[in-house]
Amino acid sequence: MNLKSFSRARAVHLMLVYTGGCNGCDIEIVNCVLSPKFDVEQYKVFLTWNPREADVLLVSGPVTRFNEEPLKKIYEAIPEPKAVVAAGSCALMGGVYKNIHGDIPSEEIMGPVENIIPVDAKVPGCAVRPEDLISGVVAALPKLLEAD
Amino acid sequence: MTEDKRPIKQEIIETEVSMGTVHPAALEPYRVRLFVEDEIVKDAEITVGVNHRGIERIMEGLPVEKANALTEKVCGICSNAHIWNSVLTAEKGLGIEIPQRANYIRVIVEELERLHSHCLYLAHGSEVLGHETFSMRAFYLRETAMELLRMIGGNRVQYGASIIGGVRPRCELNEMRLQKIADGMDTFEKGILDFADRFSSDPIVMSRIEGIGVISQKQAKELEVTGPCLRSTGLAQDLRTVMKEYEDFDFEVITQDDGDVKSNILMRVLEVPESIKIIRQAIKNLPKGPIIDRSWEMFDCDTIKSYIEVPRGTLYHSYGIEDGRVRGSIIRTPSMTNIGAMQLACIGDHITDAQLCIVQCDPCFTCTDRAIEVIKI
Repeated sequence: MNLKSFSRARAVHLMLVYTGGCNGCDIEIVNCVLSPKFDVEQYKVFLTWNPREADVLLVSGPVTRFNEEPLKKIYEAIPEPKAVVAAGSCALMGGVYKNIHGDIPSEEIMGPVENIIPVDAKVPGCAVRPEDLISGVVAALPKLLEAD
Repeated sequence: MTEDKRPIKQEIIETEVSMGTVHPAALEPYRVRLFVEDEIVKDAEITVGVNHRGIERIMEGLPVEKANALTEKVCGICSNAHIWNSVLTAEKGLGIEIPQRANYIRVIVEELERLHSHCLYLAHGSEVLGHETFSMRAFYLRETAMELLRMIGGNRVQYGASIIGGVRPRCELNEMRLQKIADGMDTFEKGILDFADRFSSDPIVMSRIEGIGVISQKQAKELEVTGPCLRSTGLAQDLRTVMKEYEDFDFEVITQDDGDVKSNILMRVLEVPESIKIIRQAIKNLPKGPIIDRSWEMFDCDTIKSYIEVPRGTLYHSYGIEDGRVRGSIIRTPSMTNIGAMQLACIGDHITDAQLCIVQCDPCFTCTDRAIEVIKI
C-alpha cells in the first residue's frame, strides 16, 4: 500500500445525490452514517454534500428529467479517482416508476443511473438495507485506493 | 397573540439568495429563493417539481391491488400511511368491513410509523440547528421503531402491511411479536423521556430555537396548514379523533402555543408518548380472529375520497374503479399544504435560520411533487 492509498483509506468521503426516488433509500443511507447502530464514521467514512471533497458518489432514485443535468455536473465536479455506487432498485433499473404496465407509462424517468454516468457498484433492495449498502461501498473502494 | 407576517413587495429586490435544486444544506432537491435585506429574509419562495415522477399517471389503468402497492412508493418515510389510505379508499367504495384484528394491526403499524417519523424529524431538525449529538441520539432511538417494523413487515422501509380486506398474513402478530413490541415501547418511552429532558434543559439549544419561525394561528388557518404544524400554533385539530379506525383508542391531542421552532420540536416529542399509549392499548385489547376477509367482490365505483391523519398532517386519496382498474387518481400529501407555512415562517428571521424555519414544518418534498392545480380564491 503506497502513501496515497494509505491516506485515502483514512478519509473516505461519501456524497449522497438524490435523484427523485421515494426518500426511503436516502434516509437509510444517512442512517448508515449517522445512526450509532451502523455508524460508518468509526471507520473514517464521512458523509458530505460537497462534490469537491467527495470520493464516492452514492446515487439513489430513478433519474427524473430535471435531475439529469445536475447529476452529470456533480459527477464531473468530483475529482479523480472517484467511484459511483448506485443504491436501490430505482437506481439500478428504474424501479416501479419506469414502467409497470399501466395505461400511460411515466415520461419523467430518464432511466437508470447507468444511462447517465458510469456505475461501479450496484446495491439492490427496495429500500436498501444499511448492511448491504456498507458492503456495496466497501466493494467499490479498491478502485479508489488502487488508483495512482 | 403573534402578529401576521406579510411578504414585503418591492420594486427592487436588494439581494436574492437562491438555493437548489441540489444544495449541500438541503437533503432533498427543491429550490428556495430568499429575498434578503440586511441579512433579514423579506420574502421566500419555494419551488417543487424536480422529483415529479407521475405516480397518479402510472396508477391510471392498473389493477386496484397493484395500484395500492404502488402508492406506498410515493414516500419512503410515511409509506404505510399511503398504502393504508389507498386501501381504505377502495374499501370505502366497495363496502368492505375488515376484521377488527386487522384494524388493530394497521393502527399499530401506523403508530410505529409515527414514532419513527417524529424521531426522524427530531434528528433532522437537530442536525440543521447544528447539534449532531442530539441528531445521533434521535437516530438511535429511531432504530427501535425500525427494528419493530422490520419484524412485522419484513422490510425496514416499505413494509406493505395493508391489503384490501385486512392485512397481509405475514404481518400477523403472535405472542412473541406482541411481547417484542411491548418491550420496544418500554425502551422507546424511556429513551424519549431522556431525550426530552436533556433537550429542554439545554440553554444553548433553547436560545437558538426560541422565537424564530413563528406562524400565527390565524395565518396557519388561512393557509390550511395541517398536522403537528397546525397543532403547534394552539389549535387542537386531529383527524384521529374522528376517524372510525381510532374510536377504540384513548389518547390526547397535544397542542403548543407559540408556533415557533421550539413548539414544533416539543410538539413532536410530546406526541410520541401518546402514540406509545395507543400501541399499548392495541396490544392489550388485540381481538382474536382472522386478519383478512377475502370474501369481497369488485364492482365499478364513482370517485371515492378518503382522508386520514398521518405523521405530517392530513392525507387525501381519491380514485374511481372501472373493471377492477383505477381511474382518475388524486393524491394530496400533507407537505403540499404546508409549503405556504414554510415560506411564511422564514420571513422576518435571520438568513442563517431560514433552513431551520423550513425544516420546522417537516417537509417531505418527495411526496409533495404531485401534479397540482392552484386555484385562486
